[in-house]
Amino acid sequence: MPHKIKKFLAWLFSGKSEKASHILILPASFWLAFFLVVPIMLLLVLSLAQLGPYGTIIWHPTLENFRRVFTPLYVPIVARTVAYCGATAVLCLLLGYPTAYFLSFYAGEWRDTFLILLMIPFWTSALVSIYSWIIILGRDGLMNSVLVGSGALGKPLDVLNTPFSVILGLVYFYLPFMILPLYSSLEKIPKQYIEASYDLGAGAFQTFLKVTLPLSLPGVFAGFILTFVPCLGDFLTAEFLGGPRTYLIGNLIENQFLMAQDWPFGAALTAVLLCAMLIGLYYYQKLEAAELAA
Amino acid sequence: MPGMTRRDFLKIAVLAGTAPTLLASCAGSDDKREVNFFNWSTYIAKDTLPKFSLETGIVVNYSVFSDEEDMFAKLRSGAMGYDLTVATDYMIPRMKALNLIDPYPTGALKNIGNIDSKFRDTPYDPQNAYTVPYLWGTTGIGYNKKHVSKRPDSWWDLWDPKYKGKISMLDNARDCVGIALLMKGYPQNTDSDAAFQAVEKLLISQKPLLKQYSSATYVDSLINGEVDLAMAWSGDVIQAAKENPELDYVIPKEGSYMWVDNMCLVKGSRHRADTLRLVDYLIEGKVAADIANFVRYGSPNAAAKPYLDKTLLDDPRVFPPPSVQKRLQFYSILPPDLAQTWINTWSDVKAA
Repeated sequence: MPHKIKKFLAWLFSGKSEKASHILILPASFWLAFFLVVPIMLLLVLSLAQLGPYGTIIWHPTLENFRRVFTPLYVPIVARTVAYCGATAVLCLLLGYPTAYFLSFYAGEWRDTFLILLMIPFWTSALVSIYSWIIILGRDGLMNSVLVGSGALGKPLDVLNTPFSVILGLVYFYLPFMILPLYSSLEKIPKQYIEASYDLGAGAFQTFLKVTLPLSLPGVFAGFILTFVPCLGDFLTAEFLGGPRTYLIGNLIENQFLMAQDWPFGAALTAVLLCAMLIGLYYYQKLEAAELAA
Repeated sequence: MPGMTRRDFLKIAVLAGTAPTLLASCAGSDDKREVNFFNWSTYIAKDTLPKFSLETGIVVNYSVFSDEEDMFAKLRSGAMGYDLTVATDYMIPRMKALNLIDPYPTGALKNIGNIDSKFRDTPYDPQNAYTVPYLWGTTGIGYNKKHVSKRPDSWWDLWDPKYKGKISMLDNARDCVGIALLMKGYPQNTDSDAAFQAVEKLLISQKPLLKQYSSATYVDSLINGEVDLAMAWSGDVIQAAKENPELDYVIPKEGSYMWVDNMCLVKGSRHRADTLRLVDYLIEGKVAADIANFVRYGSPNAAAKPYLDKTLLDDPRVFPPPSVQKRLQFYSILPPDLAQTWINTWSDVKAA
């Protein structure tokens, strides 16, 4: 019996049998099918339904929900979301590029330590870090106590519940998504290219501009997509760190499911947002493939 | 599939997704002596539940919400395990229509006679079948005396540019749309488009002055000076004012709403007998008084009266004098399409 199991395992993990590969992929496929594909299908079906009394659902197919998504009322929310996410991605890039550059060219033996430090915020729950920001940014918070206490400011700054606090929260959360692809891109640049550039008489800055930067562009693009796209659906940050005028698409969707009890419209909004995200990820994928081919 | 309810839809969704685990967890009845009680945050005295458990041996798993819509959404999306929830009057027809709550079995509560007859045979539950009143209160303005020199007396004070960035509004359609209708002089059950347009405009015009929409943390914001004025629920502010005497609460001269929160039996509960035992305990005169004394809301319990603190009984902010009572009205029970109009108006305000 143990012998049979051993043989089976050897076959399963031999990496040679196509049938074995199908068995190995089975659990993940089921997981994705039941918890991703089926829910998305249900969401699409729901987005075609109508809203009945007291938030019930009436199953007469209609495109009305999608028509509503594209009404002028929501244009400012879409514009605001794109602006906040764009600002977040750009700020992540400005903060992330030097960090990634440092990690690949200067960190030396400390590199792994820094990479782990970078990942640590990920291990805390998003809610905990958001509440920490409330404690730091609040009127009686850490930041104001230090600024007012040291005499740098006459009266506390009201930064909580503003676009500033929302974008700060978003940058904090998404920064590692920028640094890691940038780092892996910079890391891949063969050192000989840079040496060659020096040998041919280029200075440090010229080398950066003509060699390092262009070669790291795939990382810049990947980082941009990986921060911008997930940011589009974020609602927790705006919910807790934002105010009445920092309402984003994510909040609009959350509101349909909770407060307004309009699930069909919420589903339509989600479907449109998903489409936009998929387009972004499609281009990301294409770029990855092109990079691999090269 | 016309007529299919959202719950049916969810059942299919749930069956498609998680059937095996769910079946496992539902199999057989649960004979643990416990009650899962879902209540507003800061809405019970500290020792109420421990005393009940000591007396009866029934464990109470207490969880709280700070937003009634969240509670509703949770129950509606089939959240399992809650036995008892607290819901405001206007919510009852909705919860009944969606089959989320069960009627109380007749004769199940020996203390039901303690409830003041004023709070029985209400429009939201004419037969007293689905609800047992828990506490009642009003919606008004909470403010910090340290930062607000003149005592606010009008809802328009929440629109005063002097307090720009220092104003908080409750985050729900009932209070915001309801108060805006009052301010614009429309009756509560109006269905005129002009009224809702005016309300929407009024609420949107306030947004540049607002710090936040909040039903959960606004009292903290008042205490730490994050905001100076807040649309507030009576007991929330009065409770906090015990420790922070600079806080105060007023019912504006344009009038306001009073509401009753009720204990409701959640459908599908597996601890019905213990739940009824808990409800019966909570409406004992002494227990109800302890709760009211602690949370500083009005008690609909006639038997509680002898045990109420004198400071509570004499507090016109908790028990408004007749002159103020004249300006208070109960929320009316709106027909479904009108209720939807309130919600849509509020959604548009939030989105603007």
